[in-house]
Parts: sequence; structure tokens; C-alpha cells
Amino acid sequence: MIRLININKYFYRGESREVHALNDINLEIKEGEFSLLNGPSGCGKTTLLNNIGALDNPDSGEIFLDESLITTLNEDEKTQLRLNKMGFVFQAYNLVPVLNIEENIGFIMKLRGFDDSIIKERVLEVATLLEIDNKLNALPSTLSGGQQQRVAVARAVAAKPKIILADEPTANLDSKNSKILMQMMRTLNEKEGVTIVFASHDEYVIESVRRVIKLNDGAIIEP
Amino acid sequence: MFNIIIKLAWNNAFLRLSRTILVILMIAISMAMMLSIQGIYDGMTLNMIDKTLRSDSGEISLYHKNYRLDKNLKHNIKDASQIQTFLQTNNEIEYITKRLSVEGLSATARKSAFSNVIGINLENEIAFGQFNQFLKKGDMSFRKRGALLGSELAKTLKVNIGSKIIFSTQDHSGDINSIAVRVRGIVQTSNIALDASAVYVDLKQVQKFLGVNNQMATQIAIRTHSQTLLKELKNKYPELDVKNFLELYPMLKQMKDMMVIFTSITFLIVMLVVLIGITGVMYVSILDRIREFGIMRALGMSYQNIRYQIFLEAFLVGLTGYILGAILGFSTLYYLQNYGLNLSQYSEGMESFGMDTIIYAQMNISYFTSTFYAIITASLLSVLLPLIKIKKLNPIDVIKAET
Amino acid sequence: MFSFALKNIFFYKSRSITTFILTFFSLLLLIVYVAMMDGSHESMLKNALKVYTGAIEIYQKNYRDLGGNEYLINQVDTIEKALLTIKGIEQFTSRYETYGLLSSKENSAASMVAGINPDKEKHMSQLEVALKEGEFLKQNSGNCLYAGIGLVKKLSINVGDEVSFIGSASDNSFAADLFKLCGIFKTGSAQFDGATSFVARQYFDQLMYSQNKASYINIKPHDLSQVDEINSQILKVIADDKESLTWKTLMKPMVQAMEVDSVFGYISISLFYVVIFFVIMIFGFINVSSRIREFGTLRCIGLSRGKLRLLLFYEIFILSTLAIIIAAPIGAYISHYFSVNPIVIEGMSEMYKDYGIVSDELPFSFNLMTITWNIALIYVLNFLSIIYPTSYINNFKALEATHHV
Repeated sequence: MIRLININKYFYRGESREVHALNDINLEIKEGEFSLLNGPSGCGKTTLLNNIGALDNPDSGEIFLDESLITTLNEDEKTQLRLNKMGFVFQAYNLVPVLNIEENIGFIMKLRGFDDSIIKERVLEVATLLEIDNKLNALPSTLSGGQQQRVAVARAVAAKPKIILADEPTANLDSKNSKILMQMMRTLNEKEGVTIVFASHDEYVIESVRRVIKLNDGAIIEP
Repeated sequence: MFNIIIKLAWNNAFLRLSRTILVILMIAISMAMMLSIQGIYDGMTLNMIDKTLRSDSGEISLYHKNYRLDKNLKHNIKDASQIQTFLQTNNEIEYITKRLSVEGLSATARKSAFSNVIGINLENEIAFGQFNQFLKKGDMSFRKRGALLGSELAKTLKVNIGSKIIFSTQDHSGDINSIAVRVRGIVQTSNIALDASAVYVDLKQVQKFLGVNNQMATQIAIRTHSQTLLKELKNKYPELDVKNFLELYPMLKQMKDMMVIFTSITFLIVMLVVLIGITGVMYVSILDRIREFGIMRALGMSYQNIRYQIFLEAFLVGLTGYILGAILGFSTLYYLQNYGLNLSQYSEGMESFGMDTIIYAQMNISYFTSTFYAIITASLLSVLLPLIKIKKLNPIDVIKAET
Repeated sequence: MFSFALKNIFFYKSRSITTFILTFFSLLLLIVYVAMMDGSHESMLKNALKVYTGAIEIYQKNYRDLGGNEYLINQVDTIEKALLTIKGIEQFTSRYETYGLLSSKENSAASMVAGINPDKEKHMSQLEVALKEGEFLKQNSGNCLYAGIGLVKKLSINVGDEVSFIGSASDNSFAADLFKLCGIFKTGSAQFDGATSFVARQYFDQLMYSQNKASYINIKPHDLSQVDEINSQILKVIADDKESLTWKTLMKPMVQAMEVDSVFGYISISLFYVVIFFVIMIFGFINVSSRIREFGTLRCIGLSRGKLRLLLFYEIFILSTLAIIIAAPIGAYISHYFSVNPIVIEGMSEMYKDYGIVSDELPFSFNLMTITWNIALIYVLNFLSIIYPTSYINNFKALEATHHV
């Protein structure tokens, strides 16, 4: 589903502080995977995730999503790609503060032009799955950290993307909420069949995933 | 300690460059505009007043008691020459001139117009009010029965240099008499009444034409800087109508007053809006750094020092805006003072209403000082609200709080 | 995006309130100020027109430039016949003007003496309405003189007194006669009242040999705004040696002076708008930059730059519209009220009489087209204010924005 061929990424290119963030990465992620990019701080896992998610551009190499080359797309095309094919969960600042939970979850579907009735139905479906269906009219500021992250996941999955990329989703959560979140994401992966790739060094994430891709100093040491 | 505060203030003031630049631009541009507008208006008003003083009344004018109500030759100052000679010895009087004026009809072969013949001594008038500077065309000369015509009158009569005009009126004995004159020059005084009707002729010639002696005049005009002279003259010549410039031209005084009121109100409103702008930015800027201030308080920095820092920040932003505004304003005013605002596409309209087609601006130090005080005051006032917030700050709450 | 924009407006109150108040104030000020300025100009022009000058005047070419009897209009009746065929003309009349000296027992004064058709003049100008004492002229008034109050004062005469007249006739011969003052008028224009007088043409033509001649023909259209159209029709029916001019040319100095006044008015008021523009932009900028992270996240999950621009546009559009919906009717009401009940500034006409101001009233102008462009201008200013903040935020890459501090 996703293929990375000879990906290299540098930060501060040409300067004395040059960092080879991604070093000749070759990777394949199949459909339905529930995988983790793991490694110590600064190993390049977030950078790799951002490149897969068309949020960043590699300096060399190619990335294919379903046999379509995504590295040569322009900014607007990448935005469209992210809108239609991908879902994201970030470490923090996920939700739009002025919209209620229902509106936050349905946001991507609304952007994609789905019918209001379809959005309502789907929102309820994922909200129920993630056990936040009783908070649909609330504003994000009234929810706990754990609940907010579940809303972020619900939003990511609501529009049925091909792949969800989650960058340190449990970083701001306590152990209990981290566990709950991972369980729910695993259930989603199994029920909906959506590919989920994490970048994290959280124990709970490592425990929950089916594949761990180890990185160190920008290179894959264990695919 | 103060060095650190200055460093903190300086760095923080320009931390969010885009935001700060917007505020500085706002202050600078509005200040430059305000200065330019005020300079132009002041220039216009002063120009009109100056021209009127020079072309007509001077600071003080003397008339026969009934002259201004009924501009008849019988309402004259019989011993005008004597009065003039006497007053010339007065130290407070800088220049003095007398004029003999009578209403009548000016006619060419084809056109006629209502006009005023004004008998003047050309040398006196030049000394009195730089009369020669009013010359628009031709020569400043009365040779060979020459006359100088007001610009609007020349337009009405469709005459040019060298044209002949016959002026008819009732002379001193009540008979209709005419005098033929040749246009030697055309003058523009920007005093509409004069430009539209004046025919300047040599005083002696007018006196002869009207059949009066060389003592008589209808107006004595005085230039002076004395504040007490008016009262003195009123007392000395109770039989005459002694008036100062403002009494003779209340409209100009009103114009000047209205200009002051208008610019003050504009100034106030603009400063109020500027205050809103600066307050918005400073408020947000300080709120963004509330954790930082909390930490500083926790580390032991006193509220006073934080207050100094914040006032200094606001002052620096305001000062930068002021300096840029002063440079812009000065450049614009300098240009407008020397090259003027060219409105010659509206020349007919401007001239018919007694205004020059090129308007030169004034530049006063007071423009820069008053805006300085206003801007700095607005800048300092803008941080009062956020300072209140900081005063009430409990450091621990702020540090603990999730960002 | 629209409902999202609406929610943002209610959520970010300080920006919304400031923008609303500034927009409200700026539109109200603009409407009222322009109404006052236009009103004073219109009233000056109308008063000047009403007094004597015609909306359209037909001259023999060169009369205005060179003057003199050889440039009088001859065969006035031919032209008048042609004018009858033009629909938009309400009334027309011919005038024969000359300058002369009027003398009473006590004094003399120069005056323009005009031969007029009293019945037609009633409908054309304010001459009859301006009657102060005595009576207006009739066709058969004979040697009755209808003179301005300033002129009458100069001559020290009263109704019923005789004045002698000397001037030159249309063939340049010497003309002299005795008139009787039958009526005094006051238009308020000092220049006009001090040097103008009228006699019925029926009588005056005999004195001046000016039968079927005229200095010019004065035309009043039904609708002042159609003046240019009617003028072009007139040009078609008159001979090549004649010219037909509208008040815009005849009163060019006044029109220009008004334009200058407007220019200065707009320059003065533009200062407010520059400052208000900056403040609205600054508040918009602050608000937008406080949401950089939020927008970054949205861009990551698929919100395009275009949609973001649309969102910010909607926000300023909604705020502007809310303020405009309230300010416009208030401004319109004020303009309308003062157009019907003008402000009175006592002594204004006395003070500004040299400038042709004849009335102490300062009416406002109420014009829906003007109010519309006022509204459009405020909208434009507000839309412009969001350009910089929008481009600022779109310059961030999606990922960069999410990490913004």
C-alpha cells in the first residue's frame, strides 16, 4: 500500500549543523497493518511519519501510495491527498475549539462534501465505538485529555481514510488513558480494516502493535 | 538590573516582528498623514490671512464712520494725509498706506463690469504689503495713465496687457465722470472682493479725476505688531471707524478657529483609534508571555521591575513609530512646503474663490511635539490593562497551568 | 466554512467586537460626512442656479469671450420655434443684458440692466420670489425698474422714485431714459443684489433697439439631471454660429471649487480610514496568528489554503455585514432627516456671502447611490485588511504551523 524507495532527508543542509534525518529508507507498509515506528529520541520516526503523510518532502527517493507517486505532488495536491486518503492524530492541539465534538468528528467528511445525514450517521457510529457518544454536543475544552484524543481518533477514522498516521498520540495521556486509547485503535483497525502507523516510544503502544519498525540515526535497523 | 530590564524590553518589543511592525506602521503612517493635513490647512489659512493683511486691511484700518455701510465718496477721511504723516512717527507702526476707493462701472468696447477704482501710491503699497508679489502678468507700473487690474475682473472684461478701459462714476461734485486707463499689469491678491473688482490707479490721478484734494482718502491701513495700538487709535480718533483685521474679516477668524477645532477633534479621534490598536497588540503580547512573567515573579523579580519592563516595551514601540512618522511627516511637509500641492487643474475654481492654485504647507515644531506627547501617552496607557492582570498574578497558578 | 466562520466570530469576542465597532463607526461617519459635504455643495449650486443663471444657455459664438453688440443673437424667434420641438424643455426665455449707469437725485451706481420677459421669468428664476417691496414686473410694466436691494441702497431711493439711465443701445448708439422704481428684490447674493436691475422687454426693446435680439436664451429643463441630453438635442437644432452651454460650463469656477472642497474633505477623512484600516488589520492579524496551530492542524488533515482563505474571508464578511446592517440605516436616516430639516448655522450666509452662500441652512444630501458606494468602500477596506493576515498564515507550511510557538 505504501512504498518508500531510497528516501533521504537532511535538516540544515549545507550548514555545519547538518543532520541526516532519514538515511536511505526503504520500507513497505501493507494494507491493514497496525504498525509502529520506534526508536530513541531523534531517531527520525516523526520525520519518517511526516514524509509518509505528505506533510514533508524527502530530499531524494520516492514514495508511492497505492502505486501513485506522491513525492512529486504540489502543495495543493498533497493537501487533497491528505484530505481524501489519510487521517492524522497528533500529540496535542488536535481539535477545533469553537466546534462541538460532533462537528469536530464530522469535519473532514464535511470538507469532502458528504451529505449531512450521512455525516451524522457515521459520526454516531465512530463516537459509539470510541465511547464518546455522550459528549457529542460538548466543546473540546470541557473534555479530559484522554477524551480529546479519542475525539481526534474518531475524526481521523470517520471519513474512512486508507491510512491513519498517529504521532505520539499517548504522549500527553496518563497510563490508564493510554491503554484505553490503544485498545480502541486496535479495535478500529480490526473492525474497519484501516491501516494505522504510529510514531512513538511509549510502552503501551509497543505492546499493542503487530509490527515494530525500529529506527536509529535515521536508518531502519529492524523492518 | 536596569540593563537587564532594558534588554528584556528591547528584545520582547520586537519579538513578534510582524505584529510590532504593523503597529509601528500604523503609528507612523497616521502621524505622517496628520502632520501633512495639518500643514496644508494651516498653510492655506495663513496664506489667506497673510494675503488679506497685505492687500487690504493690514492689522488695523481706519475709515469714515459710515464708510463700511455705504461706500459713498462722501464718507471719506478728509485729512487722511495729515493723519498718515502723524502716525508715521509712531514707533509701533511698521508701515502705513492710504487709499482712495470709489465704485463704478468699467467698460471696454465690448464688455462692462461693476468695479472699484482704488487710488494707491505704488511705492507705499510695495513697502506695505509687497504688492509687487501679487503681479501675475505685465508690469507693476502706472506709467501713461496705467492701471493694474484684479485678475478676475480682467477675465470678466476679457482684457489683457495694453487694453483700454473706461471707468465711470459719480465724482465728488455729484457729476458722472469717466477716466480712460490702460492695463499695465494684472494682479492676483487672492482676496476675492479685490480680484473681482479692483482697478488700481495712481492715487494722485484718482484724486484729480474725482475732483478732490490730495488730503482725502477712504482708507488708512496700518501694519503693526503692537497689541495696544488699536485701543490707542480708537481713543485718538473717535470720529473715525478704527477696526482691526479680525473685526473686518470675521470670516477669516472663524475659518482659523474652525481649523483649530477640526484638527483637534481629528487628532483626538485618531489618537483614540491608535490607542485601541496599540492596546490590542500589547495586551496579547503580554498575555502570551504570562507564564514567563509568572516564572520571573516566582524567581523573585518584583512587580515594579516587571512594570518598568512593560512600560519600556510600550515606550520603545511608540517611540519607533513616532520616529518613523516624524521622518515621513517631515519629508512630506518639506516637499509640500517647498513645492506645494499643485491644484492647477482646478485653477478657475480656486482663483474665483480667492485661493492660490499651488498650496504651500506650514511646518511648525508644535506639530512634532504634540504628536510626540500623544503617541507616547497612548503607548503607555495601552499597557495599563495587562499590567492589572499581571499584578493580580499568582505565579504558581500560571506555571502549573496547561498551555 | 460559513458556519465555522460564524462560530469563530462568537468565540473570539475581542476581535469581533473591536472590528464591529470600528466598522460601524467608520460607515456612519462616512455616510454622514459625505451627505453633509454633498448637501452643502448641492445647495450652493442650486441657490446659484435658482437666482439667475440658467441650466442651459444659448449664446452667439464669441459673445462670452469677446462680448459686444455684434455678437448678440439675432432672429431669436427662429431659435425659440426650434426649441418648442424639444421635449425635455419646461420653459425658455430670452434676455437682453447691458451695463449702464443709474442715477438718482443723490447718487449714481453702475448696474447691469436686463430686459426680461416677466411672465416667462416667473417660471425660470427666483426673481419674482425674491420680491421684497413693491411689485414684480408685468409684460406691460413700461418703464418700471425692478432693482436689487443693494443697488437701491446705493442710490438711496424708494419705490416710486425715478432713476435716470445712461448706456448704449444694441446699435452702439447712446441710450438714455428715465425709469421708475416699482419693485425691490433680495436674493441674498450680495453681488447680484448690488448691481442688477430689470425692465420689461416690451419697453426696453424700444429703448435699446433690441427687438428679436438677445444676449442669450435661457432654458429650463424639466429634469436637471437630463441636462446633458437635452443640450445635445438643442445643439442639433441651432445654427453653427451659436453655442449651447450647460451650467457645468457656465458655472465652471463654482463647480471646480466644489470639487476642490470635496477633494480636501476626502483627504481629511481618509486619515480616519487609514487608522481604522490598520487597527482592523492588526486585530485580525493577532486573532489569526493566535490560531496558527489550529490552522496548522486543519491544513494537515486536509483543509486547503483556498478553504482557509475562504474561512477568513467569511469571518470578515460576516463582521462587516453585521456592522453595516446597523450603521447604514442609521446613517441613511440621519442624512434623510437633515436633508429635509437642514441644520441652521446662524450668520453663515452673512459671513460667506463673498463665496456665494445665500442661506444659513446647511442641508444634507440624501442619495441612495452615494450610500451604496459608501457601504462598498467600507466592505473593500475590511476585505483588504484581511489580505496580509491571510497571506501570513498561508506562508506557513502545514507542519510548521502545528509547531508554532
